[in-house]
Formats: sequence, C-alpha cells, structure tokens
Amino acid sequence: MKLEGTNTLAAPIETVWKTINDPDALRRCTPGLKELKEIEPDRYEATLTVGIAAVKGTYKGTLTITDKRAPSHYKLVLEGSGGTGFMKGEGLVDLEPQGEATLLKWTGDMQIGGLIAGVGQRMLGGVG
Amino acid sequence: MNTRYFGARVTRNEDPALLTGRGLFVDDVRLPGMVHGAVLRSPHAHARIRRVDARRARTAPGVLAVLTHADLGALGDPLPKLIPHPALTHQKTQCALAPDKVRYVGEPVAFVVAESRYAAEDACDLIEVDYEPLPVAATLEAAAADGAPRVHDDMDTNICAHYTQRVGDVDAAFANAAHRFRERFVVDRGASCPMETRGVVASWDARTRRLDIWDSTQAPIPIRNGLAELLGLAEQDVRVVAPDVGGGFGPKIMMFYPEEILVPFAAMRLGRAVKWIEDRREHLVATNQEREQIHDAEIAVDSDGRILGVRTIFLHDAGAYIPYGLIVPIVASTTLPGPYRIPNYHCEFRAVFTNKTMVSPYRGAGRPHGVFVMERLLDRVARELQVDRAKVRRRNFIQPDEFPYDVGLIYQDNAPLRYDSGNYPACFDRALELIEYAGWAARQATARAAGRLVGCGVACYVEGTGIGPYEGARITVEPSGRVFVATGVGTQGQGHLTTFAQVAADVLGVSPRDVTVRTGDTGLFGWGTGTFASRAATVAGNAVALAAQAVAEKARIVAASILEAPPEEIELSNGNAFVRGVPGRSVALGTLARAANPLRFAMPKEWEGPGLEAVRYFAPPQGAFSNGVHACVVEVDAETGGLTIERYVVVHDCGRVINPLILEGQIHGGVAQGLGGAFWEKLAYDDQAQPLSTTFMDYLLPTAAEMPPLVIAHLETPSPLNPLGVKGAGEAGVIPVAALVVQAVEDALAPLGIHITEAPLSPNRLRQLIVEARRRP
Repeated sequence: MKLEGTNTLAAPIETVWKTINDPDALRRCTPGLKELKEIEPDRYEATLTVGIAAVKGTYKGTLTITDKRAPSHYKLVLEGSGGTGFMKGEGLVDLEPQGEATLLKWTGDMQIGGLIAGVGQRMLGGVG
Repeated sequence: MNTRYFGARVTRNEDPALLTGRGLFVDDVRLPGMVHGAVLRSPHAHARIRRVDARRARTAPGVLAVLTHADLGALGDPLPKLIPHPALTHQKTQCALAPDKVRYVGEPVAFVVAESRYAAEDACDLIEVDYEPLPVAATLEAAAADGAPRVHDDMDTNICAHYTQRVGDVDAAFANAAHRFRERFVVDRGASCPMETRGVVASWDARTRRLDIWDSTQAPIPIRNGLAELLGLAEQDVRVVAPDVGGGFGPKIMMFYPEEILVPFAAMRLGRAVKWIEDRREHLVATNQEREQIHDAEIAVDSDGRILGVRTIFLHDAGAYIPYGLIVPIVASTTLPGPYRIPNYHCEFRAVFTNKTMVSPYRGAGRPHGVFVMERLLDRVARELQVDRAKVRRRNFIQPDEFPYDVGLIYQDNAPLRYDSGNYPACFDRALELIEYAGWAARQATARAAGRLVGCGVACYVEGTGIGPYEGARITVEPSGRVFVATGVGTQGQGHLTTFAQVAADVLGVSPRDVTVRTGDTGLFGWGTGTFASRAATVAGNAVALAAQAVAEKARIVAASILEAPPEEIELSNGNAFVRGVPGRSVALGTLARAANPLRFAMPKEWEGPGLEAVRYFAPPQGAFSNGVHACVVEVDAETGGLTIERYVVVHDCGRVINPLILEGQIHGGVAQGLGGAFWEKLAYDDQAQPLSTTFMDYLLPTAAEMPPLVIAHLETPSPLNPLGVKGAGEAGVIPVAALVVQAVEDALAPLGIHITEAPLSPNRLRQLIVEARRRP
C-alpha cells in the first residue's frame, strides 16, 4: 500500500520539526496510536489499534526514526504484529519552508499481512 | 443382464435424509466430552521462525493443549510423498506444524485444543511467534527466474521438476508448415469451495486402543493406512469414516492435511474426542488450490488449417510443497491434444515452487488448462486463415473408425494415452445443431446492428476417466431381503448410493430402493484408493456389478435346491427367485439368504461359503476416455464488463449412462464451477503473496442468478474396457468452460479486435480490456 500526501502547516519549519520529533505529538496525530514509549533515542515501543472493515486489532511493535537531517527530513520505520496479522512500513517525511508556513510532504510504503490483508485489503486498495 | 434400472432416471436414494436434515456431516458428529481445536497459521508468505512462545496460551482459560512442532516427535517429520515421478527431483512436503520456516500464508504453526472453539481461537492470539520475514517468491514467472528467492533452502532453484514428452518430429513439422502461430496463455488460481469445508473428529479409546476418525475426505482408506503407520497402530484398530461429504472436487483427497494428523494426535494425548472444522477463510488460504500455469504455445498448420504440429512449453505453479506430485501438469499436457489428430506434439513443463498455497488436483486437474491452450490455438488458426471455427475443428477430428487411438503419450496413470472409443464428429454436430450454429452469423449481424455485443463459442475436450488401480465391493443379501453394498469409494455428492444400487438391483432382480449402499467407512470395507479422476462409476461400478453377479449365482444355486430345478433355469426378479416360465414356483431372496446360512447340518460344497455374499474387485488396464462439446451464446455489456450467458449446450459421451438424472446433476455442477473459473472466481494475491480474496466478498462464486439454463444431450459410445461399458463424467462439466467463454466473449467483442489469452476473466478485467481496445487508434 503506497501512501503519499502534503499538508501546509501554519508554523515555521523549526516548530514543525520539533513537533514531529515529539513522541506525545506523534501519538496525538497518528490515528490508532495508543502508546509510544521511548526505549532509546529515536526508537519507541508502539501500541496501535487499527481496524479495517470488520477486522480490528491491536498491534505491538516498534517505531524508529532514522536518516535525520534537521530540520527538513527523516525516515519513519514501523513494524508491528498482532492477532490479526502484521504490518511493516517505511515513510519519508520532508519539510520545506514556505514563507511563514511549512510544507510537510510524506511518502510511504506499507505492507500488511495475515487476516487483515485478506479481509481488509479491498478497503485499502481493492482486489484485482 | 436385466437392465430395468440401469439407464433410468432413478431419483436419489440419498436425498430423503439430506433434504430433511438427517445427513451426518463431520460437524454433526458430537461425542461426549468432545473438545475443539484451532490452528494458528502463518501470516507471512515466507519467514523464518525464530521462536514460538506458547506459555500464555497454555495457561489461558479452557485451554487443554497447545502443540507446536517441538511437541510432535516423529509426527513432525515431513508428511508422505504421495505420487513420486522420476522427473520430480525435489518432492518437498510440509510438516504437520512448521518447524523453522513458513512458506505460505496459512501454513500451520501451532494447534490449540480447548473446551470450545472460541477459547481455542482466543488462545491462538496469545501465542507469540517471532518471525524473520524473508524475500518472497510471489509469482510463477519470478519464482522460476534465476536468482529468485528460494522457497526451499537446500535447493539452488525453485524448479522441482522438468518433464518433456514428444510425439513425432515437431521441429520438422514446424519447419515445413504453411502457417505457424505462437501465443502465451495464462491460467490463474481458483479454489474448490465445497459447501462443506474440511473437518476432522477423532476419538481414542485407551482401553480397546482403537482410534475412530470422522474425516471429510475423498480417501478414507489411504488416510487410515497412513495414520496407522504414523501412529504405530494396527490398520484394523483405526477406523476412518468419511460420512456425508458436502463436496470434494479433488482437494479433499490430499494425504495428509496437517489437521488429519493433529486432531488424532491431540485426541490420543488428551484422551478426549477432538473436533476441528475448517472455516471458510482457512479454506481459501490453506486448502489446496489449482490452475496456475503459463503456456508458451505454438501451432503449425497447413494452408487448410490441418494441424501439423503443436508445441507447448509451460510453467506450472506447485505452491510451496508438492506432495501430490506431477499429476496436474501431466494431465494438462496429455489432455491438450483432445479430440484432434496431432501428428507431431511437444509438451514440456517446469513445476515451480512459489510462496503460495499448495496445488493438487481440483475438478479438471489440468484438463481445463490443456483444453484452453488447444482451443485458443484453433481459434487463432480460424481467425488467421479466415476459416470458420467449426470447420477448422471438423477438419482435425479423430474419426470414429480410428479407435483405439494411440495419442503417443504416457498418461497420468503411467499407461499409454490410448482413447478407447468415441465419436467426436457426431458430438460436435449435435452441439452445433443445439446451439443453432448454422444461423449464427446472421443472428449476430442482426444483434450487432441493434448495438448488442453477442458472441458464440464452441469448444471440445476429451476427458481421461476411470483409471486404476482397482476398487472393490462386498454385496450381502440379508434375511430381510435387503441388499447391502459396501465399497471403499466414498461419495461427496455424486449419487453413489443410487447408481451403485441401480447396478446391483438389475443383477439381483430387486428395486434400487431395496439396496443400501455404504461407502467411505473403513470399518465396512477396507480396500480401495479413493474417489478421484472421475473413476467411481467405472471402477467401483464394475466391481459392484461383478459382486452382484457372484451373489446372483449363489442365489440361483441355493434356490435350485429349494425349487428343485437346475440353477440355470432360475431367474431373479421382484425380490424373488423363480423357475423360468413358472412364476408360481418362487422363493423370496431373503428366504434364500436365511437358507444359505444354516444353523445345523452339512453345507453343500458348491456354496463355497455361507450366506448370499460376495466380494469382487475390478482393475481396469487403463483409463476410459469420455468426450464432449460445449457451446454457448453470450452477451457482453461493454459499459460494465458484465456477461450474460444466454444459451448453454453440453453434448457429452461417457459411454453407457447409468442414471441420466445424476449425470445431468454432475454436468450442472461442473458447468457452474467452470463458469466460476472462467469469469468470476480468482484467487488474488498481492506482490508479497498475501492472499487477498479470503472471503466470499472478494472470491466471487457464481450463484443461481449467473447460471444459465443448460441444454444437455448424451451420446453413448460404450467403453470396451469394462463390462458395464461406462466412462466417467465427474469433470465433464468444468473442463472446456474457460476456453468456451473466452472464445464467445472474443466473438462478441470482435468489432473491437480484442484478443483474450487469459482465464479467469472478471467483469473488471473485461471492462479493462474493452477500455484499452477503445483507446487503441
């Protein structure tokens, strides 16, 4: 599953960079992210609850931030598994100043497997 | 032989119980103290198992046992290799529970037994498996390529077999041909989807040391024999019953599915009866599948469209393991020539491991692929040479005076592929007549003028059926006069309780209603191989006839002494034995059964044994070859990709017909499955071999609404290979359907110049083809 998008945030790039490096802020703005516990710098233990169609599940895993180039770029790596399957993904986040505001761009590739892939896939990408 | 019931539309003996809810399917087996199993399956298509931690699951409420590979001992070894072949150099089989690596989504990793299925499934969620995902061999072509991720570490490739058969001099034929046409054909995966999924119940009696198993299988006897060996029990102390089975279609003849080991093992360990019933999602990921092949095929013809040579080089997707050997690709290779005279033929395949569910025969078992390739090649010839499709076929038929016809190949039963009998042109002409082919061009022109996209198709096939090695039957007449037939060949809806009864009834002079047929219970009959390859009526049917004749002979001998007439003057009719021409001098069959089992005094030597009972076996030297022609008229909705089948004709020759009603039922069911495989049913996988169609929301089975009314006609060319003259019909309905539907759709879309080389289609795919064609300049 490919993810891609942009958003313009009404804040200077330094503020946005700080925010997207703050575990509390990440938890608040990520749907389903219940818990984010720092286990070492830029590495977190994550608990996610995600539901696709009739399949809702809790995943436990890790979230790692790498390839940091402050204040404009990092890579997010997410891995988790639970009773309904597993997920594994990588995303690149880039920030660009736009006057007073900041353009946030993201691209990502998410792989899901197990029950959630089989049942939920058509909600995500359709069945060919 | 009296043939009063053979050939009659006798309604089915099995239906009163089934229609009133009194059938016994595996899930109906409820035993005292019975507990329930659930399987934890791999969510990964390919991963190493670093660690399995079942501690939390073991202490969960209601959980009695959690089995992982480490708990299985010798039962954890790779499961039996069923059908070896010299060309199959790497016959990998799976373990009942994965030891260190999983190779497809759905592969069993742990088995939980609990007081309820609910508790067992919840406990599965508590098992922690640490997987290291590995690169995936997801598609057939990618898996066959050099450098592909390897499904099995000890192989340096995923190719487990490479096999070639040749007839004549193909290269010379192609070199000298007026025309050569090359195509690439892709046939994708489907699932068998019986109404009843798989299921196993096992009960162990520690006092008698006897194991009872109810298994929704097509092969109870091999399951019993194999389990006895694995568990160190006497075959006689293991009883496997395949009770009422709600559809088999091939995948239920695997031996073993992991659950067939795990359930008995857990029952013996716990001393409790254990039940496991497959759910639909499990069926769509973990029960064997079929049909994925890619053919690079070529045909050489003369200027009139006469076939000079055919060549196909194809890849066969085996899935992650190949317990069933090369049956499917061999059947595909050997079914391809069909009813046509092909003097030079080259078929060559590679069987390839992929990180997908295993492949073993599913109704058709390679035949639909072979027919798809051959019929599509002939359609190409017709189009290129601008000769009518029907004419091209007619020019190439094997003629009725050419039988037995040796195709020159070795068939799946390891015997020469020799068609025993048939009349291919007659079948073809009858089909054309019923589809009104003569007026088709004009009707199509009228429809096109009205803006309708209508198409017609006609496709032919030869179906190898009735292969050995053998089957048997025991027939017993009880003092009540009731006749009991026991055979090892189980029934999954084919109507054996009726057709075998008809065969016995005619010989013994009783009604089929007086004949109770019992199948699929190793406690009643312990010799046989199973129900597969459209062989039950041919192989077991003839064994029933032979056993009935032996019982009739005995009845005449016993009656002769009572009626004071020579045995050869005794006739059997209406449940009585009587002296020919003197109906008043008669004695009931039941009375003879009682007389044949005396309590005192000497027994006449010529009786050989007590009672009216005989066991006989039938072992055909080779398979019997049925054939048929399907034709249809379809209309395509170009805006939605929807397909309406307006008329569907099946003309079919399976030798002498035992019961036309049952035969028509077989064809109806087969055509429904064929239409699914042609246009709706497709097992989709993503690029990591994750199955995407794991519910009936995404895996589209045709329903009554999609089924066209069928027009069915039979021709009867008796097989010379067996006393009844019968041939099999189990797969007839399904074999040519994909080839036929694609041809008809292509005909409908001829104005758009669409050329279809794949199956199954789908409304989506068809719409996509239409849109692409309209975009072309």
